[in-house]
This record gives sequence, C-alpha cells and structure tokens, in this order.
Amino acid sequence: MDSLAYRDDFTATQTAGENSLQLIAFSIGEQTYGVEITTVREIRAWNGATPLPNTREYVRGVINLRGTIVPIFDLRARFGEGQTSPTKNHVVVVMSVGDKWVGILVDAVSDILTVSKDDIHAVPQGNSMDTELLNGIVTHESRMVGLIDLHAVVSGTKTEA
Amino acid sequence: MRVLTVDDSRTILAMLHHTLSNAGFEVLQAEDGRKGLEMLAKEPVGVVITDINMPVMDGIEFIKSVRSSGLHNSLPILILTTETSQDKRDQGRAAGGTGWIVKPFDPEKLISVIHRVVH
Amino acid sequence: MSDLDDFKQTYFDECSELLTELEEQFAAIDAGERSPDRLNAVFRAIHSIKGGGGAFGFSELVAFAHAYETLLDRVRDGRVEMAGQVVTLCIRANDIVADFVAAAKRGRSLGATYGADERKQFDALSTGQASEIAPPAEPADDDAFDIDFTPVRVELDIAAAGPATAGEDSFEQVPLTVEKGHWEIHFTPHGELYARANDPLLLFRELASLGDLSVVAKLTDIPSLADFEPFGVYCSWELTLNSPSATAESIGEVFEFVEGNCDLSIALLTPRAAAQPTLADLAALVRPPPAVDDTAPSFAALAEDIKAERAAAAPLPPTPKLLAVPAESAPPFSQDEPEERRGGLDDRRNAGIQSIRVDLEKVDRVVNMVGELVITQSMLTQQMDDTLRARYQELVRGLEVLAQTTRGLQDAVMAIRAQPVKSVFSRMPRLARELAQKTGKKIRLEMVGEATEIDKTVIEQLSDPLTHMIRNSADHGIETPAQRLALGKPEIGTIRLSAEQAGGNILISVEDDGAGINRERVMDVARERMVVGPDQQLSEEQIDNLIFAPGFSTASEVSDISGRGVGMDVVLSNIKKIGGSVHVRSRTGQGTRMTLRLPLTLAVLDVMLVKVAGSPYVIPLSSIVETIQCARADFGRAPSGARVLRVRGEYVQVVDLSERFQLPSGLDLGRRFVVLCEAEGSVKVALVVDDIIGQQQVVIKSLEENFEHIDGIAGGTILGDGNVALIVDVQGLRAPVLHRSAA
Repeated sequence: MDSLAYRDDFTATQTAGENSLQLIAFSIGEQTYGVEITTVREIRAWNGATPLPNTREYVRGVINLRGTIVPIFDLRARFGEGQTSPTKNHVVVVMSVGDKWVGILVDAVSDILTVSKDDIHAVPQGNSMDTELLNGIVTHESRMVGLIDLHAVVSGTKTEA
Repeated sequence: MRVLTVDDSRTILAMLHHTLSNAGFEVLQAEDGRKGLEMLAKEPVGVVITDINMPVMDGIEFIKSVRSSGLHNSLPILILTTETSQDKRDQGRAAGGTGWIVKPFDPEKLISVIHRVVH
Repeated sequence: MSDLDDFKQTYFDECSELLTELEEQFAAIDAGERSPDRLNAVFRAIHSIKGGGGAFGFSELVAFAHAYETLLDRVRDGRVEMAGQVVTLCIRANDIVADFVAAAKRGRSLGATYGADERKQFDALSTGQASEIAPPAEPADDDAFDIDFTPVRVELDIAAAGPATAGEDSFEQVPLTVEKGHWEIHFTPHGELYARANDPLLLFRELASLGDLSVVAKLTDIPSLADFEPFGVYCSWELTLNSPSATAESIGEVFEFVEGNCDLSIALLTPRAAAQPTLADLAALVRPPPAVDDTAPSFAALAEDIKAERAAAAPLPPTPKLLAVPAESAPPFSQDEPEERRGGLDDRRNAGIQSIRVDLEKVDRVVNMVGELVITQSMLTQQMDDTLRARYQELVRGLEVLAQTTRGLQDAVMAIRAQPVKSVFSRMPRLARELAQKTGKKIRLEMVGEATEIDKTVIEQLSDPLTHMIRNSADHGIETPAQRLALGKPEIGTIRLSAEQAGGNILISVEDDGAGINRERVMDVARERMVVGPDQQLSEEQIDNLIFAPGFSTASEVSDISGRGVGMDVVLSNIKKIGGSVHVRSRTGQGTRMTLRLPLTLAVLDVMLVKVAGSPYVIPLSSIVETIQCARADFGRAPSGARVLRVRGEYVQVVDLSERFQLPSGLDLGRRFVVLCEAEGSVKVALVVDDIIGQQQVVIKSLEENFEHIDGIAGGTILGDGNVALIVDVQGLRAPVLHRSAA
C-alpha cells in the first residue's frame, strides 16, 4: 500500500564480507544517520498515526502495519531537535528491535552504504544526545553518518504523571 | 521408501521422524493403532514401526489387524518396546510382528534393523 | 548430541501434559472411578514418561518411573487393587515424578534417597517375591539356539551365490583346515516366518556382511504342482560362513527375530578335523552340486508342469488354504492363534475426541487473517448508506449474511486456539497441599469451571499470577486451625479457584474464607511507602486494591513461601501485559476474593467509537450504560474537589479523557459528551469525550506486542478505514491517581 520498499525474506544478508557493514542511511535535516540493513523490514511513506496518551513527545503514535499495531518514534524529537511536521514526503523506516517492530519517522532515506568496521569511531563527547543514542560514527564519502543505537532510542517512553 | 510410525508419544514420533528422514525415508505418523490402519489404507508403505502401549488400539491389535487383512503379508512391522522381558516380544511376534527394536533406540541401530527387514 | 536437545523440549512438553492427565485421572480414581480405561491410561502415562526419560539418560527419573510403572502394570492386570493406600501412594508418586522431571529439566539431581520409600513400597506391592526390577538385560548367554559342536561334512559348492566364491577362490579357502571362523548353518524356515514378513534372503544378506557366505538351497522337499500349496514351505538352506570375527552370538543375532519360527543350527567346525589335506583329497571332495532326488521335481521340471497345467486349463485350488507346514513341530499358522490375553484389554475403543497437532504459528496466521476479514467485512457494511441500501437490497442482504458467516468463522477460529484452563488449574492442588504442609494450616482447594476455555497464549501467562494469589491466601488469608475454631469457622480453610466466561472476558477468581484484608495495616504501609498521601481518603474497595500498587508489600516478615514480599504488583503487571485486569474485594473476618479479568483475544468487540482531541478511541459497548450530552449533564464537585456527575441520585466519578490522556481538547465542556460506564463491582464512572461517532465491531490488537502497556488503555483496534483506535480501559481509569512511590 504505502510501502516503498519491503524485504520479503527477512534474513540477514551479509553480502559485503566479514569486516564490513551494510547500512541504510537516512537524514534528519542536515544530519545523516544509519542503521544496519539487517534490522530494516520496510520503508513506508508517512500516512498519519494515532497519538498515544501519556507518552513522551517523541512517541508519535501508532500505525496499522498489515494488522499489527506498530509505534512510531519521531527521530528528530528523540534527538531533542523538536517535533517533525510530517507530510506525505516523509518516511517511516520499520525496524526490528529485539522482538518488537518499531517505526522511525525520518525526513528521507538516502541510500545503502557499505562501510568497513574499522572506520567506525567512538562518538565524541560533548553532545549528550549523541552519546546516548549513537553507537558510533563513520565517515562515508565525506559525510558523517551516526550509527543509531535502536535500543536506546526506544527506551524510556512513559511520561511521569 | 515410506515408513509408517505409530506411537502415542510425540517425543518418540519426533525422534523417529528425525532419524528416519535423515536416512532418506519419507515418514508417516499415527498416534494409535486405529489411525495407523487408516494411514495404511490410504498409502502404500514399505515398513511399519509401532509402539505397543497406545490408547484406542494398541500395537498388538494393530499388528493382528494388519496381518489378518491379507493385504500386507509381506509388510515388515517392527515393534518398539521398552520391555526387556521376552514376554512382550513373543506377544508381538505371535501377533505377526517381523522384528523389534528396543527403546530408547540408538539411531544407527534403528536404521540397521530396518535394513535387516526391507530390501 | 545437540539433536537430542531439540527433542528434550518436546519431551518436557509431553511430560507436562501427561502429569496433568495423571492428576486428573487420579482425582477420578480417588473418587472411586477405576475403570480399566483409566488404569490403562495412567499406566501409559508413566510408561511414556519413563520411555522418553530413558532416551535422554535421566536415570533417576527412569529408575523411579520404572518401579511405579511395574506396579501400574500389576494394577491393570488385576493383580494389585487400586484402592486405599495404593491410591494415596500413587498420588504421592505423581508428585515425585513431577519433581524428577523438573529436576531433569534443570539438569539437577534429587539424590539417591528421593522417592526411595515410595519405590520400596512399589516393589513390595508389585511382587512380594524376587523383584523383576532389573537393569536392561544383557543378551543372555544361553540363547535359544543350539550350537552343535559335532563336525559336519563340508560340501564345497563352487556354484554357490556367496559374494566371494567363484572358481579358484574357493580352493584357497581350503575349508578343511578349520580355521577359527568356519561356520556351518542349517536353516529351515517355518510358515510363520514368512507370515511375519521375514525374508530368508534378507537374513542371508545380513549374514553375508559378517564374512564370506556360500548358500545352498535344499529343494528336495518341493512337491509336484498338484500338491503344491501356495503358502506351504518346502525349502531349506545350508550356509557356510567364513569369518574370522563372527561369533555364535553375532550369527545368532541375525536370526534373533525368527528363532522359534525356524529350525536352525549353527556349528563351528572344530580344529580337530582332518590334517592338512592334499590336493588330491580336495579333488575327491569336490562334487557336483548336490544331487536332487529324482523323485522330486526340479524347478525346471516344475516350470514345465506349470506350462502344461495352464495349457490344460486346470483350475488351481480356488482359495489358498492356510495349511499345516510339513513335518516339523511348527503349529499351523492361523488367524485365531490362542494366546494369553489379559482380560478387558480387547475392547479399548475410547469414545475419545479425534485430534491433530498443529503448529501454533499456522493457527496464528489463520487467526490474523480472520481478523482482517472481520475488519474488511465491517468496512463494507459501513459503506452502506441509506441510498445504497434502498437501491441494492440483494447486496445488503448478502452483506448481512457475510457478517453472520464471518462472526461464525471467528468463533470457530477462536475455539481452535482456546484451551481449557484445566492445564493450569491442575498444578494448583499440589501447590495447596504443599502450602498446607508448610504453614501448618488446613487448606482445601476447590476448583470450578476447569473446562472454561481461554486462548492458549494467555493460559501460559496464568500460572505465576495464580500461584501468587493462592500463596497469598494461604499465607495471609487462611487462619491457623486453632484460630479458625476459636472464630467458629470450620477448621479446614477453603480456597476456591474458579473460571467462567462473562461477556467478552474470562473471569478467574481465587476466593478464600479467611480473615480478609487488614485494611488498617494496608493503609499504614501505603502511607509509609508513600503510595498514598498522608491525608488521602480512600474507600474500602480502593484500599483493598492498594495491594496491587507498585512498590507495595505487607510482608515485613519475609516468609519463605511467598519469597520477597507478596508480589501482587507483579501479578498485576503480568495480567496487564496480556490485556487483563485484577480486582480484589474483601470482607473483614470473612474472606477475600481476587478476580482476574482476561480478554478473549480475537473477540469481536462491540464498541462505541468516540473522538478525543481529534483521535479515535473506542469504548466497549458492554461497559456503557448510557450517553449524555454535557450541556444537559448535572455536574458537581465532591468535597475533595474532584468533579462528579449526578445521575439518578448517584454521584459518579468523572474522568475527562482529554485531561487524563494529556491530549488537548479545545472544545468547551458544553459541546462535549459524557459516556456513562460501569466498571468492576458495579461502580460507575463518567467519561468525557469530544464526540460520539457510533457503534462498531472491531478486533482487539495488542499494544504490548511492539510497544508497552499504557495506563488507561486496554489495547488497540484497527478501524474500517485502516486507522488505529485505542481501546479505553474503563476499569483502569477508575484507579485513584496515586503518588509515585519514592523509588
């Protein structure tokens, strides 16, 4: 339906060799982030979401993914950069985190990158959001790509009364 | 070749299935003697492995039924038994069983016993 | 062997089912029902547990189960009566078997003495004489075939079918120098051998794997065609096996299945045979193939006979007679071979329900698809407006039928995944027995409604909460026998475990006739742990339900039964995770009743669709009493300052959903609506929403599957337009807003 890309056989595809990683890269504003391609199940266009009460501002709500209810996290808001005002051009990346499926709202998906594990650096101290939410940084063709720590992104979602 | 396995324990059925399909057999399963007869009526089978103690129809009755039908005179039937006493084996043979294999079964022994009774 | 590990889980699952069955069967046996079917069923259960256990090397379990099984075998034979002490012993033994299984699962040992008493009693009951309980027997040395040591004349058969024999090779074997390993075997099968699908050719094939085999068939007994019986046996064989490694045992093993259905002699030629022969001697021994008796036809002649017969169109005997085998001792093969039959075993046709095992995944897929079907059908129905209705009456009727059929399909599919709660309930009697023992109290467990069915995935989550609740009753509810007597109560306390279906839910309750909840104590602790404010006033019911509040625990005495604290908040969170709720009611001095309310998944929920701050929410129709326009509603304020609604003389708590859910409404009160609902315990609550859309049928979807539980929300559903609507948890909204406990 609004699926832009879908992986039918959801099996790990480490085609690039032992020491490298395949990432799907997406952007929030000027920043580029990436996640391992093996975690991504589907990419959909934004088509609204039902808000969830009593949750953090970066929990956008839930959507219906072929009969299953999946939560959407506004990545920009998660990084503390304010709420996204999504349009049909925005994209939701549906991923597996542990045994759950979650969706991440991003501005756009750019491409698939192959990077070498050796090129991954630690996250520089300074920005606390980055240290909390990223696993590392890698440079690809003069772009800095932040590697998202999915577990950190989806934790701590309840608001205090 | 097709093997029919008849046993009320699904652990045993699962283990038999594993061993036999790895050895290249196509495995059919039934959980008691009556179901075993139904399966035999539907499909030709090269060898049968059956337990003795089962609900609805036990192994002895099953074997007798199979033999008395006259349709399966040369169908080898192996009895699975944990009994170590001669008594059960005699009963099985008397009913028409071809041979036996003792539970817990060693996978290699199972295959070699089957090999002993089928071409 | 990692392969084995896969089967271990299957085995433990099976054990769990069998142990449940044992519990059930013995409940009936204890009540006096001792039909042969039951006795056989319990035998088979222990037999299976033992059998599987043997495969995995669980020797302690196997040893105990073997003794138990032996007794059960005697019982089903009628040699030992299943009554009185025997029943008690068996019930205890079931618990012990369960312990062994549990230990095996964890890879632990229970020690050599565990269950030793019961084993002794089994042995004593089983035999009284020398025990038959022996480790798996080694193949006996005195096996049933003869080993004849007289030397036998050797016949060199050059043309024989052995794998290694051909021309000159056989000379090399020089059979007369009896090396160790020259065997001579005579084999005459009886009719029964063939009747059991044993095949001499296969036996010979196996022998050939032991060494060099040569085979000579003795065909002298074959009668003429006229006398030839189709099922008659006329052939025998003489085999020669040369093998340095074969033993009498290994050769005998080849024939192990057929001993008793053949004449067999196996001989090892002794070294005392003649000295090294010369070539001349050998030549003298070489004879042409054994002369066939001229009076008996050879096969060639037989073939001629047959041709001749056919030409003459002589009819063969119409029906094959099953006849007596020539000469030897073999009894005739017949259909009704007399055997010792144990009484009552012939007619064991259960009126049992037929069943098949299906992967849960497959069932889940079907369940999901039916869910989609319901949504689609509901959407179609929604599209029907009045104009369409008037114009396309057939279509409307068709859709109505579709709705009905879908409903039926849904019920049927739900039923597939539904299982009786029995499997969880059956573990409770034992728990109660143990608790009674440990606390020194007298406790009787009553169970009602075990046949009530609930979704399989929910059942598995029930065990812990039920255990906690029963422990709680035993620990804090039921008084000691002395106390009870002093209070004029019966000495034996009762805990009643019940399950029933009510509306779209399953209600499971644990009720005891004990002391009830000590409300003062609860409030003290609650204030102490800052679960409630120092001045907060709560109704009796609200106080009772405080025991579920997070961080709450009255167990300052940490009893070794209940572990750390009471764990009631754990119960609550577990139940909430599966979309249910817990409620407790208590009467001081009389008892306490805890009720779990669990949803039936894939329930067609009839709901009212409402809007709050632009988002769709649904409220279960079964909870709704009526709807009122806010403009017409009679609002007031309670002394505490909380808003209440006055309805027919009642004051009802008001919950404004947009406030509660922190979603800005933007509408003033006058334009909004009240949905008056009824929660647990017939208590009402008035929900304020922005708009009421209408009634719908929806399918419940889990929120916890990919997210987590949200207070006040019971789950999600998917509307006909594909959007997600959240289900309002009416009961959950009623809870007073508690202070967060200081973590």
